[in-house]
Amino acid sequence: MRVSDYNRIVAMQQTRRDVLKGAAGAASVAALGASGALAGFAGSAAAQESLRVELLRIPGIGVGSPTDADWQKVGEMTLAPTMANVEEGEFQGVELTFLGLNNQNLHNFLFRGFLKPWEAYTGARIKWIDLAQADYNPRLQQAIATETVDFDIIEMGAPFEGDVTGKGLASEMPEWVMEQIDMDDYVDYLKAPVGTWDGKTYRISVDGDAHNFNYRTDVFADEGLAAAWAEEGGAGEWGVPRTWQQVQAATKFLDGKKLNGFDLHGYLDAPKPWGGFGFYFLASRATAYAKHPDDPAWLFDLDMTPRINNPAWVRAIQDIIDALPHQPADQLNADPGTTAFQQFLAGTGSMLAWWGDVGSNARTSDGSVIGDVVGFDILPGSDDVYNASTGQWDTLASGPNYAPNMAYIGWGIYVMARVDSDPVKHKAAWSAAAHLGGKDLSLWASAYPSGFQPYRNSHFNIDEWTAGGYDGDFIGNYLASQTNSYNHPNAAIEPRIPGIFQYYSVAEDELARIFAGEFGAQDGADRIAAAWDRITDQIGRERQVALYRASLGL
Amino acid sequence: MVDTSGMSGHQIHGAGLEHVAEGRRKAGRLLMRAASALLIIVLLIHVLNLTGVIGFGFENWRPILFAYVLWSVALCVGQVFTRGELGYRALFVLPAVLFTVAMVIFPTLFGLYVGLTDWNLSSFDGRKFNGLDNFRTMFQDAFYWNALRNMVIFVLAVLIEYGIAFMLALLLSAQIRARKFFRVVFLLPFMLSPVAVSWMIGKSLLEFRFGPAATFARFLGWESPAFFGAPWIARISITVMDAWIFIPFVMILLLAGLQALPREVLEAAKVDGANAWQSFWRITFPLMLPVSLTAIILRIIFKLKLADIVINVTAGGPGGATDTVTSFIFREYRDRSNVGYGSLLAMFYLVLIIIVLTLLLSFARRRVERVT
Repeated sequence: MRVSDYNRIVAMQQTRRDVLKGAAGAASVAALGASGALAGFAGSAAAQESLRVELLRIPGIGVGSPTDADWQKVGEMTLAPTMANVEEGEFQGVELTFLGLNNQNLHNFLFRGFLKPWEAYTGARIKWIDLAQADYNPRLQQAIATETVDFDIIEMGAPFEGDVTGKGLASEMPEWVMEQIDMDDYVDYLKAPVGTWDGKTYRISVDGDAHNFNYRTDVFADEGLAAAWAEEGGAGEWGVPRTWQQVQAATKFLDGKKLNGFDLHGYLDAPKPWGGFGFYFLASRATAYAKHPDDPAWLFDLDMTPRINNPAWVRAIQDIIDALPHQPADQLNADPGTTAFQQFLAGTGSMLAWWGDVGSNARTSDGSVIGDVVGFDILPGSDDVYNASTGQWDTLASGPNYAPNMAYIGWGIYVMARVDSDPVKHKAAWSAAAHLGGKDLSLWASAYPSGFQPYRNSHFNIDEWTAGGYDGDFIGNYLASQTNSYNHPNAAIEPRIPGIFQYYSVAEDELARIFAGEFGAQDGADRIAAAWDRITDQIGRERQVALYRASLGL
Repeated sequence: MVDTSGMSGHQIHGAGLEHVAEGRRKAGRLLMRAASALLIIVLLIHVLNLTGVIGFGFENWRPILFAYVLWSVALCVGQVFTRGELGYRALFVLPAVLFTVAMVIFPTLFGLYVGLTDWNLSSFDGRKFNGLDNFRTMFQDAFYWNALRNMVIFVLAVLIEYGIAFMLALLLSAQIRARKFFRVVFLLPFMLSPVAVSWMIGKSLLEFRFGPAATFARFLGWESPAFFGAPWIARISITVMDAWIFIPFVMILLLAGLQALPREVLEAAKVDGANAWQSFWRITFPLMLPVSLTAIILRIIFKLKLADIVINVTAGGPGGATDTVTSFIFREYRDRSNVGYGSLLAMFYLVLIIIVLTLLLSFARRRVERVT
């Protein structure tokens, strides 16, 4: 919606919902003005729904990747909550610096478009710092350690909260922002303590991260493969694996098979280091083995003793060692970006654990060829789970142990404390952040390639998605994999401790050597554990233990 | 004839020396002393503030930089005031010395100090001096020594690159058609950024699934053309990409050398009945040795800094097979925020390079002297 349209409606003293209706409906401004009628509540709700449906049609499902014009349009249509709290031109002359990512040409690229109408309305200007994923951690750590925080707003994952909010560098969220972004709508696992520190709220969530299980429906429904599976003595019926044991068996089975003339591969591992982020993919294989329902810890003991070399993690590492010979020949040189965007979406491989981007790209990205043959679920479970307190493998009465990996806990927008001394800048920064974390805007970001996945309860209304053009079965399946991960009682939630990516990075180096065959799983895991202990000592064991326990809610 | 044997150097080259008035000399001294005092005071305030001895100071190091610039200017002016013509002469060198101190010597010494500290950016306690601990850690660091071993392999490949570059240089120095065109074309890879080459070749041309090189390799019968899937093939692929960029550099140095060779020697050999092979090994190659060694040593220096292609294409893998010292230090610093240890590794590598190159130069000088 254009600012001029908004002003005309405000002049007519319409309600906010009418404003949204005006944005969504074609030529509605003129119509409302002409009738002078005030819409009732039911009508307003319909307008809200209409706006959300209209948003999901920009540019439309199956018509290719959105462009900057689409992002600006979305930013313009979702500006109403900002207008309710900020006067036009209120931030004239204010300049804000925004630090974020440029992964896959997403994140900051979208934020620029979303915030352009906000800049036009408020008068503020934003200076952008774009970083590659791998450069993010060092840039942030340098700024913190050298006390040279040169940005007012940051796109940041919850794992860094220990580094930033724990050191008093973030600005506390004002009440009006909480109301504007409707925080009650967040899924439960993104509510406190995530986003908070010492009882204060700092984070506007724009993402809800979890690794889910992506698989090829055509492969696991193929009759020829089913017959071959039975013939080769595969356990049970040929179908979508539900445990890691089944994933391993299917991966070995599919090696050398063909479907429609193309080579088949099973699960895709990502052995190549990825600036620390590659560790999440081992974790996704390990959580079902390592996260016991009776134990909140899975990565470290409560005294920060690493569990990476316990039998559960070693088993997950061994699984990768066993699976790699059955994966594409160059898999050792595949990082997670390769497995998702160059392999799975491009038709190579049948199973992949990844963030929700695979689902949101499957039917909306130009690079995807699997939009019609992809299915989703929570991560596979395990027939047994390691009990760290007894040192035994337990078989649960309830069946396989599932433990979805809440990898990275989602991106959030944080305002830095350096704006606190300037009330206008403070309000401007929080207003920009709130615009990006707005309820309606986030629906669009969840549905299209953005780098973000659903994270609000309102994102799981399938009717909205189907009205926007999505196929009901596809989106129902995708959203169920997300919501069932978020709400899983045994979800593995990452510790928010300072320097967490140092642990991951060291592990990546050692894992690369294990996968290249330099030493065995146990030997390599012991090396990782020793390196992790050194990092804990270097950062400060006592403080790390306290923060770790706090992150577990203890 | 004037006897100059008893004259000092200043007197010999002292044309234009002038008498400096005492007042001017005093003003110069005063200026330099005042600027020095200012620099020391500013530095002292900052250090005492940082160490918590006093409760006031500067927010950052910028005032010290300004004080240093001021001191430098005062020193230069002071030289002229106190020493006259000799002071003017000093100005030919002094600014460069002061600049080098600020931009090279101080950062190197500071880097050395950082290398002797335990400084993890996530640490709650900040930077702590830890003596030789990082040094001891380095000797037990399998990743660092693995990277050094890889560097030996990568450096040995320089000899092959040199051979190819020499052949190309001979070709381009010959009277071939479109010689100028080929000289420009052969130089093109050197003009490309290694990062661009990483993507264009490493991640596109050599890509396992859709890369043209992989497709061609399949056509030739290589079933799984994974150019980075196993240690040795990955090392070779990285070496080839790096060589593709830098062979033109070596080639252009050798070409310049070939064109400067005295024609009459070659012609005399021809008259004496030497064939092309004999002319090359007996005349061209020995005469080219000084240029060759310069080219090789420069290429080794470039090679020792190999990192960008490795970081982009293999991240040091598979299993550290292509890891270089620079890419490992980059990871240690960037991914693990381990500034102290990373700096020590870099300093040690610098010393190692200086020692190796000094030995190499000394050996080369003796060898060239013997041959030529």
